[in-house]
Amino acid sequence: MTAQPAFTPVEARRTLARDPPANSNKPTNFSSSVVDYVQRSFFEFNRLKGVPALAGITDEDIRSKLSVIVNKATEAGVVNARDWGTFPLPHEHLLEDRKKAMYAAQNAVLANLLEPSMEPQFNGTNGKKRKSHDQDFTETEGQQVTPPWKKKTNAKATLAERMTGKSKNQDKKRKDNNTWFDTSADALERRRQRFAHASPEPSPYISSRDDSPAVDANSGPTVGTCQTLEKNYFRLTAAPNPSTVRPLPVLEKALEFIMTKWKSEHDYTYTCDQLKSLRQDLTVQRIKSPFTIRVYETHARIALQMKDLGEYNQCQTQLRALYKLRLGEGGSSGGKEDEFLAYRILYLIYTRNRTDMNNMLADLTTADKKGTYVSLALRVRAALASGNYHRFFQLYRQYQDRNMVPYLMDMFIDRERLGAMAAICKSYKPDVSSKFLTKELAFACSETELFDEDIERECLTFVTNHGGDALLQEKDGNVRVLTGKAGNVFEMAKQAVFGKVDIKGQI
Amino acid sequence: MAKIDLLFDDFATALAEGNGYMLANCISPEPPAHDQGRLYHFRNGINQFSVRTDLQYKLQYNPVLRLDKKEATAWLEVFTVYHKFVGTLVHAEEQQNVGADADWGKVYDDWKDVVNALYRGYQGGAFSAWTIPCLYVGGRYLRVFAIKADERTASQRENGLAFSGITEEDAFDPSSSNEKLEDAGRQINRIFGLCIGDRNPLEDSRKWALYYVATLLFKTHFRLNHISLSKNILRSLRATTSDMPPLSNYPKSHQVPFLYYCGVIHFLDEDYSAAEEHLTAAYEMCHAKAHKNIQLILTYLIPTKLLTSHKLPSSQLLSQYPSLARLFQPLCDSIRTANLSAFNTALEQGEEEFVKRRIYLTLERGRDVILRNIFRKIFLAGGFEPPKEGDTAPPVRKTRVPVDEFAAALRLAGAEVGDGNGGIDNDEVECLIANAIYKNLMKGYIARERGIVVLSKGGAFPGTGTCMTHMGFQHY
Repeated sequence: MTAQPAFTPVEARRTLARDPPANSNKPTNFSSSVVDYVQRSFFEFNRLKGVPALAGITDEDIRSKLSVIVNKATEAGVVNARDWGTFPLPHEHLLEDRKKAMYAAQNAVLANLLEPSMEPQFNGTNGKKRKSHDQDFTETEGQQVTPPWKKKTNAKATLAERMTGKSKNQDKKRKDNNTWFDTSADALERRRQRFAHASPEPSPYISSRDDSPAVDANSGPTVGTCQTLEKNYFRLTAAPNPSTVRPLPVLEKALEFIMTKWKSEHDYTYTCDQLKSLRQDLTVQRIKSPFTIRVYETHARIALQMKDLGEYNQCQTQLRALYKLRLGEGGSSGGKEDEFLAYRILYLIYTRNRTDMNNMLADLTTADKKGTYVSLALRVRAALASGNYHRFFQLYRQYQDRNMVPYLMDMFIDRERLGAMAAICKSYKPDVSSKFLTKELAFACSETELFDEDIERECLTFVTNHGGDALLQEKDGNVRVLTGKAGNVFEMAKQAVFGKVDIKGQI
Repeated sequence: MAKIDLLFDDFATALAEGNGYMLANCISPEPPAHDQGRLYHFRNGINQFSVRTDLQYKLQYNPVLRLDKKEATAWLEVFTVYHKFVGTLVHAEEQQNVGADADWGKVYDDWKDVVNALYRGYQGGAFSAWTIPCLYVGGRYLRVFAIKADERTASQRENGLAFSGITEEDAFDPSSSNEKLEDAGRQINRIFGLCIGDRNPLEDSRKWALYYVATLLFKTHFRLNHISLSKNILRSLRATTSDMPPLSNYPKSHQVPFLYYCGVIHFLDEDYSAAEEHLTAAYEMCHAKAHKNIQLILTYLIPTKLLTSHKLPSSQLLSQYPSLARLFQPLCDSIRTANLSAFNTALEQGEEEFVKRRIYLTLERGRDVILRNIFRKIFLAGGFEPPKEGDTAPPVRKTRVPVDEFAAALRLAGAEVGDGNGGIDNDEVECLIANAIYKNLMKGYIARERGIVVLSKGGAFPGTGTCMTHMGFQHY
């Protein structure tokens, strides 16, 4: 699964593509003047970044403009003839384009105003577009100031790239970024700062459309260059842009950062989002290591704690495969296989899927069964299978401190309480003390209630919720539960909750 | 007479007599007993550069055959691909005989072509319903070759012969290790669809192949662990029953396996009464000498009976089948003697095999019966109430049993009801009693404050105290 690209490929517009010129696939060796020009483009742009006139122009724009300029020159055969030293830089081109487009748009608006009947002729500048045009010029701060027609030139640029088959070249160039960029310490620092205050996800739409040179998904893993610790999750629809992907060392720091934040703030929406983007970065770079396992394990644990079964199951599916790869030292799983195997068993108890449970038991090796967590999960299973609720609730009390085991058991504890009540009501007559029931059904281990009375009340609430107040009776200062009078109230409740649990995405 | 003619003689006879099985033999990957060298002769007797023309002479221009044009064309198609298949198969077998690597994947693919040619023949209406044994052969060997092909891929993968990337992919997609068999499942399903959708009158309907093909599908699904798919087959069969011949009109060789698989599917679904019904029917109809099949049926019938009617197989029955005896005897003995620790040991020792056969989770419930038997022993050992003066009625058993007595008996039987400090956890003992009462194995109630169990005066242990033997199963 993961070996496939971690995004849903969206078919690019190929119908417009012309056959590329025969010579286009040959790698082109650019003269030093061209290389110099390119370097200057980025340097100047970076230097002038803060200038308001350049607002809305991004690196991507510069890059695509550059490729248009160079490609045009190559096609026209003027690469070596042109004086690159004096040729306007890309951002100057972009400003020029923008001005032209603005005049065109204004003319169009004027034309529209003067002759409303002509409107259909101006497809590009009707209603909606006009509005955005107004906005674009009032907004100076926002990121999305790029006017629609500008985007169009961009689209053309990539289309041109595709048609001329330059994309492969581009890709290659991008890989050895360093020769392209100014690598002086000063420039590097400036670039770093750029990432620091740029939005963590520099407009994924643009990055996936305009920049991705249709990378073949099978061409090999991406290696990221992004340095931010935080990054929002965004579902990929095209090959990822290395500048938005974080390399392993950054990811390791990011996990630490996320976990510290989780412990102090407990914001699951944020944490889940961050972990998902972490997982995505690992996937697109095809990193499969004990660290990958740790990320999935961490996410699975947090998801269990927050009862997010969807994410939990996704993580478990991946973990199951990752453990199989034996990534750890000396052929070990490289993670907490025992613990997560136990979670799977407990989860199967929850879903009550007998077929899967049977398969699970068949897959367990003798060594697996000896694991601390697996053996406790098996004890829970055996207790429930034989209907020994006493043993089951005993185990539940005993395992309150075993990582996520109590969270998993919480998923079916109420169901089992009903089951036990069904048996107790049928067999105990005429009544039982509420103390006995409280202890037997393991109400005593809830952490929120500190006083015995409160715990007992919790148990009694449970009884009255299903059987009504008539089942309780005060006797010698103690509360008795009239099991003999409960009839089949709990039996009905039990049958109602013991229906099949089915959740998508489980293994 | 050329050796190859024997095949076409058979073919002509089969067509003339309407003998479907004989006909199916003519396109089988296995030569018949009277013509062991058939596949070689067929491969060599036809010039591989003029297969079509050669076969055309044998089929279309053969005065003995008198096939109509449509049928002749269909058979020509079948035999053309069959010839290619035979070449591949013979080559694979030769390779295997000299210990070389045989390409069973290609054998499977070529056989699939043969099946497809047959399929098209039926679809186009060229073949009539009496020829359905050809479909049996088609489906059966699809499965056989698919399994061989998958085994080869698996061993190649282990030896690192297959391209290296696959182990990694494999880890993420465990199903891919049975690629061919899964494909075979789909192909057989097509055949099933071909048969179930036949609208010809029943006398001339492919519906007569349904149960055979269904069984093939079950086998495939079971091997692939896709048992839920089998339920779909049962559902579509149930939906068609109105315009289908009753099951009892089918050959017994179709009925027994079908009933068996039905029983197992119900068994896995925890519908034990339906399972018992089907498995019993299969058991009673099964040929007495088909030991392997009887053992398969009993493997599921024994746990089913234990659960539905608390019956155990007699030692006499088990002794006929050593492998079954090995599997079940210790378990049965422990239940009979109400020995919990022996039961646990037996369950533990057989666990691997029980789990593999998917009967572990059912056998495990035998513990309830043991507990019931222990409780009953205490009840019986308790003796009778002292007769009242002038009372002529038969003596009455003591029905008030202290929980302590149950606890002692449970410990004797090896139950782990200790509280961890050397004492007895009476709450757990009560829990076990409560369960027995809840499951209707015992009638009565627990009076917790008084520490006693009050048992019902009439029949405290329903269903016990009688001994009946039926089909070698003893009531216990």
